[in-house]
Amino acid sequence: MPSATEPTANPPAASRLRVRLERWNRKLHYYAGLFLLFFLWLFAVTGLVLNHPTWSFSESWSKRTETNSERAITALGPELQGDLAQAREIMRQLGIVGDILWTTTRTNADQFVFQVRRPGHYYFIKADLALNRVTLRHSEVNLWGVMKVLHVFSGVQLDDPRQSRDWVLTTVWAYSMDAVAAGLIFMVLSSLYMWWELPQKRLLGAVILGLGSLICGLFCIGLRWFF
Amino acid sequence: MRRRFYQVIRDLHLYLGLFSSPFVLVFGISVFFLVHAWLPKIGSETSTMRVVSGLPLPANLQGLSGRPLIDALKATLDKADVRGEVGFIRYTVQEEKLTIPVTIPGRETVVTINIASREATIVTRETGLAAAMATLHRSPGEHAPAIRMNWFYMEAWRWVADTTAYLILFISVSGIYLWYVLRAERRVGLVLLCAGALSFFGLAYALSH
Repeated sequence: MPSATEPTANPPAASRLRVRLERWNRKLHYYAGLFLLFFLWLFAVTGLVLNHPTWSFSESWSKRTETNSERAITALGPELQGDLAQAREIMRQLGIVGDILWTTTRTNADQFVFQVRRPGHYYFIKADLALNRVTLRHSEVNLWGVMKVLHVFSGVQLDDPRQSRDWVLTTVWAYSMDAVAAGLIFMVLSSLYMWWELPQKRLLGAVILGLGSLICGLFCIGLRWFF
Repeated sequence: MRRRFYQVIRDLHLYLGLFSSPFVLVFGISVFFLVHAWLPKIGSETSTMRVVSGLPLPANLQGLSGRPLIDALKATLDKADVRGEVGFIRYTVQEEKLTIPVTIPGRETVVTINIASREATIVTRETGLAAAMATLHRSPGEHAPAIRMNWFYMEAWRWVADTTAYLILFISVSGIYLWYVLRAERRVGLVLLCAGALSFFGLAYALSH
């Protein structure tokens, strides 16, 4: 197909630079989109599913499989200071990997309760450090459950400063989400540039972009003005 | 015929992309806030407090919960001039108090009503644009579907968020078609598509197994 930005014969240097910029902008738009395709599909589909928790086909928690077990652990040494170090040691002994969630405050030093989560797996761990025994509940969810957790799996929460990333793969995934977001922003900006370079499409494009911006602005800023 | 189809798809890709671009930017930018639990202070954060008395309360207040309670309290909140999406309402029996969180993107209000005196203390916090974007990104979310979207504008936001997701799906599929038509780009594109698939499935597998 002919491109709207095809170079003409012997253009001046500035024009050549512009043509090159247009060509690379277009190429990078394709390339970024193709590389990020599966990530975008994941976030778009799970975005819909998370917005509609009543959709039964994507239900995962009620369809989980659970296993309960009680395990002995070796006593935690005094060198393990703090909840995080103790939780990591217990996880190591149990052969569990994932991100630690803090859901309860410790009132009894010998009773240690925490959760570990990774996409598809939820571990509820109740350790009795006096008896060196651990009660472990492991819930496993289906593919929808895995996908939904991937959408939100960052290891931190805006409204809970206690949570932090403590698994290397959580960090990798968090930076992957950053990269996807950066790629999306680049694709939007590159598409705006490509549109602007099509004079015959500018007017209708401006109307449509303006409409989208108006609606988006209403939600981001306008609601606070009106109410 | 094929050329016409190409042109229609290309125009739809362009115009639907333009329409959805502000929403995609909101979702894209707010990812950084949510992934790093960090909200940049765009503009000053302000907090105000006021007291409103003589509020009407629903007669069967103690017998209500969930969405019926929220619906019943709408008149009370209107009288107190508080509008927005109502969150989890807490009822403190000993103190006879209702605590009602109300959110508008970029503004958080907590209404504490003393049931006996029918007086409300209203604390409003303007949280700014970044917080507004993070709120929108997470709305409606998967939790408590029975009480969510109890304000018309947040219900409308759900339609908008859904539309954005559908448009992203359409734009990505039409983008694949537009790329595939460009024969010169097929090879590099295919390599990148495979590299992306490998990265995605590799990461997903490592995280979940």
